[in-house]
Amino acid sequence: MMTPLRFEEMYEEEWTELEALLDAVRGRKGSVPPPATVSGARLAALYRRVCEHLALARARFYPVHLIDRLERLTGDAHQVIYYRRDFGIARLREFVAADFPRAIRQHAAYVAAAAAAFVLPTVLIGCLVYWRPELILSVVSVEQAASIEQMYSPAAHSIGRERSANSDWIMFGYYIRNNIGVAFQCFAGGLFAGIGSLFFLGYNGAFGGAVAGYLTERGLSSTFYSFVATHAAFELTAIVLSGAAGLRVGFALLDPGRLTRAQALVVATRESAVLLYGVTALLLVAAAVEAFWSSATWLPHGVKYGVAGVCWVAVLGYCTFQGRRAD
Amino acid sequence: MSARQDRGHDGRQGLTALSTQGTLDTVVAAETPEGILLELRPAGLVPRFYAFMIDWMIRIAVMWVAIIVTSIMGGIGIALWLILVFALEWLYPIAFELMPSGATPGKRAFELKVILDNGLPITPAAAVTRNLLRTADFLPFAFGLAIVSMLVRSDCKRLGDLAAGTLVVYEPRPSRKVVATHVEAIAPARPLSPQDQAALAALAARASRLTPERLDELAAMAAVVSGDRGRAGPEVTRRVLGVARWVLGGR
Repeated sequence: MMTPLRFEEMYEEEWTELEALLDAVRGRKGSVPPPATVSGARLAALYRRVCEHLALARARFYPVHLIDRLERLTGDAHQVIYYRRDFGIARLREFVAADFPRAIRQHAAYVAAAAAAFVLPTVLIGCLVYWRPELILSVVSVEQAASIEQMYSPAAHSIGRERSANSDWIMFGYYIRNNIGVAFQCFAGGLFAGIGSLFFLGYNGAFGGAVAGYLTERGLSSTFYSFVATHAAFELTAIVLSGAAGLRVGFALLDPGRLTRAQALVVATRESAVLLYGVTALLLVAAAVEAFWSSATWLPHGVKYGVAGVCWVAVLGYCTFQGRRAD
Repeated sequence: MSARQDRGHDGRQGLTALSTQGTLDTVVAAETPEGILLELRPAGLVPRFYAFMIDWMIRIAVMWVAIIVTSIMGGIGIALWLILVFALEWLYPIAFELMPSGATPGKRAFELKVILDNGLPITPAAAVTRNLLRTADFLPFAFGLAIVSMLVRSDCKRLGDLAAGTLVVYEPRPSRKVVATHVEAIAPARPLSPQDQAALAALAARASRLTPERLDELAAMAAVVSGDRGRAGPEVTRRVLGVARWVLGGR
């Protein structure tokens, strides 16, 4: 008759072998005679065997310690067998060449909505402030307005920042920390039915519009636009895309379709996560361009506008056409 | 609709009925393709708070060391420091959770790990979303939403976990193997149902950790199995443990 003790005796060998294999895979030292090479087929076969044993032990109400041990064993093996190592160079190339631009087009409606939520306040507030410059003071304080004006004055040593911080490198670090944080906020805000995303998009758009309108009215447009034009191609695209990812998440909560809201939420974040990887990459590029290229005062404006044009065409072209051919 | 289809709709319902029926436990069961149930034990607010504090202190410590190192490097030093602050803020948890251990140092200290709620190891997309959504969890202040969500839900998920489909669980710990070997095996006085056998085995496993008085009390409740109904004392306890030994196979 089969008893727990017999059961344990019969299969002990297989269990210890699986334990040793798992230790070897996870690189833990001190296991009883470590196998020279780990055979995947053997591991899988043992795993299925132990799954059977666990099912039997549970069905027969075997003692807790036995079931616990089998549970632990199957749980560990499950983690090892299903662990995915799919982030390498090949995966990265596939992501840049196809996954990211495809994800953008897949979310075209959300991208359009996010772009509208960002661009409309920019233009609206921009025109408003241009028409009545004193309105800038409802967005920033008097001192800030003065410092913005001073930053973009043609006499400035380098544009887009205060004189005290005169190192390109410092600003590079600052832009990474600041801008990527803003983009991540635009995404996270989506969790509140998309309202947070809309708010951050609109707020950032309105702020940028206010500054642009104010500086244009002050006659500093040439310094300002030649400064922002190039990195805006990457930065604004990234902000809009992260907002789009947030809107996707928010909309999944509002209209989950045939899934439960919780399930729809998981699906939405899993799909829009692809956008976030791309957003991070775009913002790193934007930070480098903003710190080392946009701020240079010795470059003629013509060159800057030319490069900016190339960048905009490249970014928009990439989003629209890259990865269309099926491979 | 068959029971199986019914369960497919919400992975947890059918499984809970199987393994944790009528208990107050917070066990989440996940079914593997091999047809077994993995029991996942979600970690609550307190251990996760401690783990967070440890991670936070590690980050602060790294930042302080970095300030000292980078301050002698000038402009590039400040840039490196800012980039490091960014990395510690956003990439630190993502990188650690994607490692095979699936846990930040703070979580590892409390034997916690992050996995998907179907029991699989965490994926990059899930790690990224759960950590970026920390921003949303922070609202309205001091992780208010995260705390409420963790306290309200039996699986202790914060908003980021909900969206990413992840769980923070305790690493399973082996329970001690205790078999009552010092008593003589006695055949039960009547046929025992599987549940009775399980209860006896559990009692035998706990015997060495109980005070003799408590053990006698518990054994008295099971005295029926050795034909000692209504009696109590060390002798009855010995006989009940003898039956437990018989059940475990020591005959």
